[in-house]
Amino acid sequence: MRQILAIFTKDARRFWPEILVSLGLLVALVQVYPMQWAEVQWTQPGTINRGIGWFGISGSPSGVFAACLVALVPISWWILIARLIHCEKLVGHTQFWITRPYEWPKLLAAKILFLAVFLYAPFFAAQCLLLHSGGFHPFSHLPGLLLNLVYLTAFVVLPLAALSALTTGFGRLTLLILGVILFIVLAVIVSDYLPSSTFGSVPDIVSGNLALAILFGGFAAIVLIQYARHRMRLAWFLLAAVAVGLWAIAIFDPDQALMARHYPPAPGPVQFVYASGGVTNETNSKDSLAVSLPMHESGVADGKAVIPVALKVNLEGPGGASWQSSWQGISSQRYLAGASDTNMAFVMPRAVYDRFKPVPVTLRITFAVVQARRDSVRVVPLPAGDFNVAGVGVCKAQSWMGDINDFSGIACRSAMNQPRLTYITAQWTTGRCGDAASESSSQMLGTAWVGELDPALAEFGITPVWDTPVTLSNPWVPYRQGQPLRGRNLCPGSPVIFTQFRETVRTQTDLVIRDFRLPDLSLGDRLMLLAR
Amino acid sequence: MTSAIRTRNLERRFGRTKALDGIDLDVPEGAVYAVVGANGAGKTTLIKVLMNIIHPSSGMAETLGMDVLKLSGKAFQQIGYVSENQEMPEWMTTRQMLAYYRNFYPRWDRGLEEHLLRQFDLPLDRKLKHLSRGMRMKASFVSSHAYSPSLIVLDEPFSGLDPLVRDELIEVLIERAPESTIFLSSHDLAEIESVSSHVGYLENGRLLFSEEMAVLIDRFREVTVTVNGPASTPDRLPESWLQVEAADSVVRFVHSRFSGGTPSEVAEYFPSVRDIRFDPMSLRAIFLAMAKSSRVSSKSAPIVDVAKEVEA
Repeated sequence: MRQILAIFTKDARRFWPEILVSLGLLVALVQVYPMQWAEVQWTQPGTINRGIGWFGISGSPSGVFAACLVALVPISWWILIARLIHCEKLVGHTQFWITRPYEWPKLLAAKILFLAVFLYAPFFAAQCLLLHSGGFHPFSHLPGLLLNLVYLTAFVVLPLAALSALTTGFGRLTLLILGVILFIVLAVIVSDYLPSSTFGSVPDIVSGNLALAILFGGFAAIVLIQYARHRMRLAWFLLAAVAVGLWAIAIFDPDQALMARHYPPAPGPVQFVYASGGVTNETNSKDSLAVSLPMHESGVADGKAVIPVALKVNLEGPGGASWQSSWQGISSQRYLAGASDTNMAFVMPRAVYDRFKPVPVTLRITFAVVQARRDSVRVVPLPAGDFNVAGVGVCKAQSWMGDINDFSGIACRSAMNQPRLTYITAQWTTGRCGDAASESSSQMLGTAWVGELDPALAEFGITPVWDTPVTLSNPWVPYRQGQPLRGRNLCPGSPVIFTQFRETVRTQTDLVIRDFRLPDLSLGDRLMLLAR
Repeated sequence: MTSAIRTRNLERRFGRTKALDGIDLDVPEGAVYAVVGANGAGKTTLIKVLMNIIHPSSGMAETLGMDVLKLSGKAFQQIGYVSENQEMPEWMTTRQMLAYYRNFYPRWDRGLEEHLLRQFDLPLDRKLKHLSRGMRMKASFVSSHAYSPSLIVLDEPFSGLDPLVRDELIEVLIERAPESTIFLSSHDLAEIESVSSHVGYLENGRLLFSEEMAVLIDRFREVTVTVNGPASTPDRLPESWLQVEAADSVVRFVHSRFSGGTPSEVAEYFPSVRDIRFDPMSLRAIFLAMAKSSRVSSKSAPIVDVAKEVEA
C-alpha cells in the first residue's frame, strides 16, 4: 500500500495543473449546463432549435458555452490520462522506474487510484449535481450513473490508457489517435463498397454488447500486457485485433443473422397494403438507390402501438431471377389504432434495379415489427413552470418572448437517456388564450412521439440530462395569401396527455405484391444523371 | 564462491546482428567486475539483459541467483543500477527524488544517504533537470547506493564526466566495494584499473577473456629484445606474442602469457640476444594491444582464433 500511495502522491503532485484544469472544466460544466434549461429555446413554434443537438444542447449563448465545455472535458481527460501513463511510460529501455522495485500490480493500482480520485469521482459528482439541477434525484438513478461510469471506462479511459501504454509521449499518442480516426474513416469508406455492408441499419440485438465487450476486453488486455510484461508486439497485435473486430461487427452485422429468431413470424399486429406508385431516388452511394413505396396501414388494436423496425425485400422476376436484400432499418414509423397512410423505403443496388426495372416482379417485403401496449396515461393541465411527468422527466412549456399567457410548445429533459416511448398530444389554439369561446372554436390536435422502446439504464454522455425534443404536429396556421404566417399556441391549463408504451411482442409480417413494377427514378435524379 | 551474475551461452540478436554471442560469464560475489570493450562491443546490451530490460534471444542468465526473465519488482531492492542513458524523474528535486525512492526500499539507510549527500555536495532543492551531467550522475549514485544493494550495476558511469567528479564517484565505489558486488562497463580504462578486481573483455558480442585483474596484469608484459646486429623477426612466432615489431637492433612485442619461463623462451627465438626487458602493462595498454591484434587477425583469420588463444 505504501508503494501505491507513494506513486499516487507523486502523480498528484506532478499533475496538479492538469487536475486543476480538468476539475475546473467540470465545475464550469455543472454551473453552465443547467442555464440553458431556463432559457427560451424556440426559434419557431413546435420546433426546438437543435443547432448543436448532438450534445442535446440549445443554440443559446449558454448552450454554445456548454457545448464547448462538453467537448473540452474529454480533451482534459485525454491529456490527464496520457500524462499519467507516460509518467512511468511502458515503452522503451531507459525509463527511470524500470530498474526500481516497482511492482506492476501496485503501479497499475496507483494509476487506477489516481483516475478514481481525479476523474471518476469528480465526474460522478458532476453527474449527480447536474441531475439535481435538472430536477432529478441522483440516487434514484444510481444504476444508470454507475453504468455511465462503465461506458466512460470502455469508451474513453481504457482506449486512451491503452493507446498511451503503446506510446512514449503525448505527440506520438496524438499521432496514434489520428491513425485510429483515419482507420475509422477508411473503414466507413471501404464498407460502402462491400455488398455485405449493413452499417448500423438494424436494431441492436447483440452487436452493441459485442462491440462493448471487444472494446473493454481488448483495451484492458493491452493495458494489462503492457504493465505486466511490456510485450509491445503482442499489445500492437491486440490493438489491431480490436480494430478488425469492431470493423467486422460493423461490416458483417451479427444482428442480421439473429433477426429471424428475434422477430419470429406470427400473425401481424398490423396490415400493410401497397397503395401503388412510388419513387426511386439516388442515395449517397452511387451504386445504390432508395425505393420509396406508399402504403396504407391498418389493423392496430386499440391501446396498442406498432413500430416497424426493419424490413427485408425479396424480388422474384420472370425465369426464376431473384434478389434478396439484407435487413434494413426503419426509423420514425409508429402506428396507433386506426388506419393511416405511410411510406416505406428500402435500398437496393443500382445493378439490381436496372435488371428488374423493365419487368413485372413479385415483391415480398418482410417487416420486423414491435407491438407495444399502452402502459400509462398521464394528463397534465399545462402549467407555466416546470412539471414532472413520471417516466418522461421534467417538462416545461415554452413561450414566445417569455409570454406566460400562451405557449408555443413543450420541451422535456430526462435523466440518463431518452425516456420510454411516449405519445404526447396537446391542443393547439389559434384563438386568444383565456377567452374560452375563442380557445375552443379554433382547436387543433398536436401530436408527437418521444423516446425509445426499451431504453437502457443509461446512454453514455458527459452530462446525464438528455434533452427530449417534443415536436408537436400542426404548429402552424395554414398559410393564406395576404396574411402573415402565424403559429398556434398552447394555452395554460390545456390538457397535455402523455401516453407511455411498453414493448410486448416482436413479430415478423409479410407483404406480397404481385406484378409489381419498380418505380421510375425521380425526375430530379434523372436530370442529374443526364447532366453527368 | 557463488556468482552474483552467471550466464551460459547467452545470445541476444537484433535482426541478423548478434549483439551478444555465446557469453559465458561468472561474476563472483564481492567482486568489482569491469566489462570493457570498444563502442558497439555489446557491453550495454549485456547489462540490459542482466537487468531484464531486454530479453535474451537464447541461453541462460542469472542475476543474484534469479533467472533474469523473472527479475522485477522486489528483486530490484537488492540491485542498484546507474546508467549514463537512464532517464530520471527530472521534474523532481534531488530531495523529492530521494524521498520518493525511500518508499520502495525497506533497507534504505538515511544515515548513508546523508553521508553520500555530504560527500557529493549535492544541491537538494534544485530540480534534476537543472543539474549538470556530473550532478545528475551523483544524484543517481546516491539513489542507487543508499539502500546498500547487494549488486551495483553501472553502465558507463564515468562517461563525459570531468576528472573531479570521476574521482568522487570512484571514491564512493571503493567505499561501497566491500559490501556489494559491483558490475560496471566502461571504456575509461584508467579508472577501471584502479577499482576493479575482475575484468572481462567484450568484442563484437563475444567475451574474449574474463579473469581477475591481477592475473591479467601479471599475464601481459611488453617485451623489448635487443640483439647484436640488425633485428629480424623469426618466421614462426608463438601465438601469445602480439604486435611484433622490429627496428634496427630492437624487437618489441606484447607477451600475453608471461610466466617464469618466458625469458628462456624468448632467448630461444633470438640467439644473438644482448638484452631482454619485460615491462608491466597498464590495462589501457593491454586493451589496446588486444584490440589492435584482434583487428589484424580478424582480417586474416576468424576472431574465434584469438578467443581460443586468449582462453588457452
